[in-house]
Amino acid sequence: MTTAVNTQQTHQSKKPKWLAALLLAGWVLGLLLLIGIGIAAAIQVFWRGLIVTNLTDLVPWGLWITIDLSAIAMSAGAFSLCAAVYLIGLKQYAPVARTATFIGIIGYSMAMLCLLMDVGRPDRFWHGFVYWNTHSVLWEVTMCVGLYFSVLILETMPIIGETDWMQRALPRLSHRLTSIHHLAPVLAFFGLAFSLLHQSSLGATYGVLQARPIWYRPNLSVLFIYSAVLGGISLTIAASMLAARISARAKIDDSLLERLAHFIGWALLGYIYFRFWDMFAMTYTYQPGRAEGLQILTKGSLAFNFWVGEVLLGMLVPVVILLYGRWRKDPTARMIALFLVAAGVIAYRWDVTLVGQLVVLTYLPQEITARYTQYTPSLIELATGAGVIAYGLLAFTFGVRYLNIVNHRSSHKPPVMRSVETGQ
Amino acid sequence: MKLQSPERRNFLKALAVSVAALISLGFKRKRLSSEPDDSSPYQWAMVIDQNKCTGCGYCTLACQAHNDVPPEIHWNRVIKAGQVGDREVFLTRPCMHCDHAPCVSVCPVKASYKRADGIVMMDYDRCIGCRYCEVACPYGARAFNWKAFTEENPAVPEWGQPEIPRRPRGVVEKCSFCAHRIDRGLAMGWKPGVAPEATPACVVECPVGARIFGDLNDPQSEVNHYLAAHPHFRLREDMGTEPRVYYLPAQWEEET
Repeated sequence: MTTAVNTQQTHQSKKPKWLAALLLAGWVLGLLLLIGIGIAAAIQVFWRGLIVTNLTDLVPWGLWITIDLSAIAMSAGAFSLCAAVYLIGLKQYAPVARTATFIGIIGYSMAMLCLLMDVGRPDRFWHGFVYWNTHSVLWEVTMCVGLYFSVLILETMPIIGETDWMQRALPRLSHRLTSIHHLAPVLAFFGLAFSLLHQSSLGATYGVLQARPIWYRPNLSVLFIYSAVLGGISLTIAASMLAARISARAKIDDSLLERLAHFIGWALLGYIYFRFWDMFAMTYTYQPGRAEGLQILTKGSLAFNFWVGEVLLGMLVPVVILLYGRWRKDPTARMIALFLVAAGVIAYRWDVTLVGQLVVLTYLPQEITARYTQYTPSLIELATGAGVIAYGLLAFTFGVRYLNIVNHRSSHKPPVMRSVETGQ
Repeated sequence: MKLQSPERRNFLKALAVSVAALISLGFKRKRLSSEPDDSSPYQWAMVIDQNKCTGCGYCTLACQAHNDVPPEIHWNRVIKAGQVGDREVFLTRPCMHCDHAPCVSVCPVKASYKRADGIVMMDYDRCIGCRYCEVACPYGARAFNWKAFTEENPAVPEWGQPEIPRRPRGVVEKCSFCAHRIDRGLAMGWKPGVAPEATPACVVECPVGARIFGDLNDPQSEVNHYLAAHPHFRLREDMGTEPRVYYLPAQWEEET
């Protein structure tokens, strides 16, 4: 006990060093445990097939698809901030775009891990790239996700090349990797193109299905990309702020993030506007299936998630905090508000995915009525999902600790400029 | 500063334009239309007479056996569809083989495809098991193999012998209008819809003749006779899927 007090005094820090190390070790071990459980559950999935899930022919898409859609939405900070920095020219956000890019590559790899379990034949994952059905939005999503993942890998290479140990151990490779920075504007262009395509197509995946009246509308694709940009940037800022509170290795520029959060506040207001009209327009006239879907959202099994998760915590609370200057300037309130925005987007993905499937329309003549079905994820689905999320958190932790991905305060200028300077 | 240079700006602009041009050229070459290819001389269709159907379920059992369908899955379903007078009415539902099939449009790998003779077919070697078609089908005609079917088929041999291989775990399956029987029958010179060996098993097995199968292109086919002589409807015609399965509604008059 006395030694602890001593170290605390000598280091002049809030937490003694050994305690910080212990907490980190505990955090990492906890995540590894979750990943271990997830792997065990995934083995069950591959061994016994999707019978171990609670998915049915009526609800063939469930928790995994939601994680998948959410992980991709949370990754949208990467393309939007890279476009802002390298195409629009808001260079001051370059270090934040770097964080977002790293979160992006984590998110897309999480989505792919989930998909690998979710498709019935993971051994045929490559079929989408070989057998093209250009009519299918899901084909387009497959292609864009594959191509955009390559873009993200290229965008992440300089982050790895810039690390101290890389520069010491493999200076030439490090230089190679770092010089990919020269391509940043081109990568930002392709990232923007692929992301605009597939982020909205993920909404269209539901939106084009005439068999599901609550989904069948063009708004979904627009709302999906809008919410993805909101959630992705929010998560990037919030995660950076949280990392900076916990680890000395993460450095943030609070005024920069505050300005970005202000933008999120206004964008959220726009999102609330569009979401309101999207919902409100659907309440006019009775359409079988659609009206029942709205009932599920507003009064049924998804009501809590909708009113509390999406509307109250995901929209109303954060929009007030982010637009009211005094609260926004308070880092804790701002961080919580941004996490809430991200969580609200995840709640939205869950609600959209389920609401269209929980209503089952009959096809009998004279009697087009809706029936309800149910879905609760099985333990194995939950375990594998938790494992995938734990993997994402672990990757971010290691990124903060070893790849210096949250470093907004340094003299980290846009890479193109720096390499030009060193070249001279 | 270099970032804002006019060369870079121009380069990016040129890049954007050329990518857009490439994409539009690609789409121009392969028209984005969903008009089905109907180049085959045969256009298969089915008529189901609700006046005759007694809901016995023989069609389903024959289908389970001939197509080696696991007991949890039904390619063909018998549904109670209300009453006409004091008689119970049934609606049996195979795959509709829609001309504008949602499953075919959404399949990311063309594992579901429309044959030139109108049959919506599955390529079980290509299906990745994403189940988008299941979500898209308005008729619930598709079933996923959640587990491997290794047990004995309870419908065999009483209702027939398996004629096609079992589908592996992890793919979606559905009614094929017994395409293998049609193809083999045509190769043997038999007439599908007339010769039992060349006709879908459910049609052959129906004890009351409630199912009629044939070629829409053949004016003499029984299918065309029925459609000309009776009022008929298709399921969810409002969606424009253009099903190939026609129903003759149960009518009060025909009862007496």
